[in-house]
Amino acid sequence: MPTAQTLRFLIGPIELLHEQAGPRLLRLTRLGIFLLWIVKLLLDPLWRLADLPREMLQPTGVLILLPPSVLDQLLSPDGLTTLLFGTLAVLALGLTDRAFPLISTLAALLLTVYSSVIRSFGPAVHTDIVVLLAVWVLAGFAWADHWQAKSTHKRKPAGSWSSYPLITIVALLCLSYCLVGFNRIATSGTRIFTGDTMEVFAIDASLRGYYFTTNIGWHVPEWPLIVLMLKLGFPVITVFEIVAPLCLAWPHFRWVFIPFMLSFHLLSLVFMNIFFFDDMLVYLLLFDWSRRYPQLRATHPGKT
Amino acid sequence: MTKAARVPPWFPPLSLTAIALLIWLVSFKSSPIVSVLHLSDSPLVPFSVSSQAFLLFMLVRAFFYWPPMVRWAKSMPMPHRVIFALMISSIIAGHFTLDSRTYFPLVAWEIFPGIHEQNPVTCREFVGTTESGKKVRLVVEQLFPSVVQINPLDGFTPDATDHLAETLAKAYNQLHADDHVRQVDLVLMAVNLHPNAGETRAQPSCQLLKRYDFSSGQ
Repeated sequence: MPTAQTLRFLIGPIELLHEQAGPRLLRLTRLGIFLLWIVKLLLDPLWRLADLPREMLQPTGVLILLPPSVLDQLLSPDGLTTLLFGTLAVLALGLTDRAFPLISTLAALLLTVYSSVIRSFGPAVHTDIVVLLAVWVLAGFAWADHWQAKSTHKRKPAGSWSSYPLITIVALLCLSYCLVGFNRIATSGTRIFTGDTMEVFAIDASLRGYYFTTNIGWHVPEWPLIVLMLKLGFPVITVFEIVAPLCLAWPHFRWVFIPFMLSFHLLSLVFMNIFFFDDMLVYLLLFDWSRRYPQLRATHPGKT
Repeated sequence: MTKAARVPPWFPPLSLTAIALLIWLVSFKSSPIVSVLHLSDSPLVPFSVSSQAFLLFMLVRAFFYWPPMVRWAKSMPMPHRVIFALMISSIIAGHFTLDSRTYFPLVAWEIFPGIHEQNPVTCREFVGTTESGKKVRLVVEQLFPSVVQINPLDGFTPDATDHLAETLAKAYNQLHADDHVRQVDLVLMAVNLHPNAGETRAQPSCQLLKRYDFSSGQ
């Protein structure tokens, strides 16, 4: 029947993302995530935080565990410079793939401290949390590969183990979106979509200004069509956030999800000065590269 | 000929009914648990939390019954299963701490969760005036790019606000040695949610709250 055939064509295959991923794709992912962090840190004048008033300081995450004297030393210009360049050095070592379990664990710890420091002068924002957790995932599975290879007396990890960290990172990305959507619905129900909340968010974020300041969002009340777009878009975005886990299983859904969410993030930049550029780079993992390129598979022609 | 698989007794709708009953018992004031435990006005677990737990449970259940996922998980050696379970359960546990600071990076994933309908929308900002008379916005996130976002200035104490004004002026002057800021104004900007038809403005309305004079060259 043509309808059934059309539906089957539209739905397409249902298959686990990165199920066939091999060591080369894992290596590329490790390189990409470490390089991303290196670029972020190279662009960050972290030592200047020492000049901010201490009244703004609200220790976050692991910083809560530090004694006040240690915290003071860490937040001094020298302390912050050491943290920044020490982390950069470890990340650079991580690019070499030597002693990866140890280096990546050290990188994860240092990046957690770094991320806690920058969030201690304001709210604990959600940008780059998934990229930070990705480093922990890479470290955790590197140790798992090491222990399993030792216990089975293999010289190196099996190629099929490469899919585990990749699928886990995508699962964390999708789960984070899903939790945001669940939380919004559970906290405010549908009333959040029927009033002026989205306009208020846009105006407030635009007035406050962040690193990027477009000065566009606070004009929104003057443009009825834009108000309508925001009001209609808000529930649609929430639905996409909730169903994000489908990305793990449904290739055709990813072809809708990726452009929609990229557009949403770009519009957030235009109207709200908010830019999750790290997460947008993680979207590269929403493409099943190993299905497209046999060389990236766990087993490919020519490899025994 | 293979035997047809028996549907276990706990399968939906029985399990869903049990979960709905459990949510009513812990999250609604009308439940008997509230009166038995002599809880004042609040249920044992807020509905926003129990409903999210239910939705997550359904999501995880769906993935663990999906054959490719089951096959993939079964192929994992034990250390890898532990890491996978640890990462997924950590992010979920962090979300249910309802805390975005203490257990970072295991945070509550709250992004624009609440209803906000104030009108006009207001915001405090620092606006500097340089030696050449130019007006510049002094934004913490631009002068200190490490900080992604600060808390709204409305919540700052007067001392903290004063210190921040001075800090921002110094930070700006370090980057603009040829045209220093000599005066910083703390202003309250406001935007009306429902402007008159055809009304437009180049800048939000501004009300001066406090003026700081740094013309003595600090």
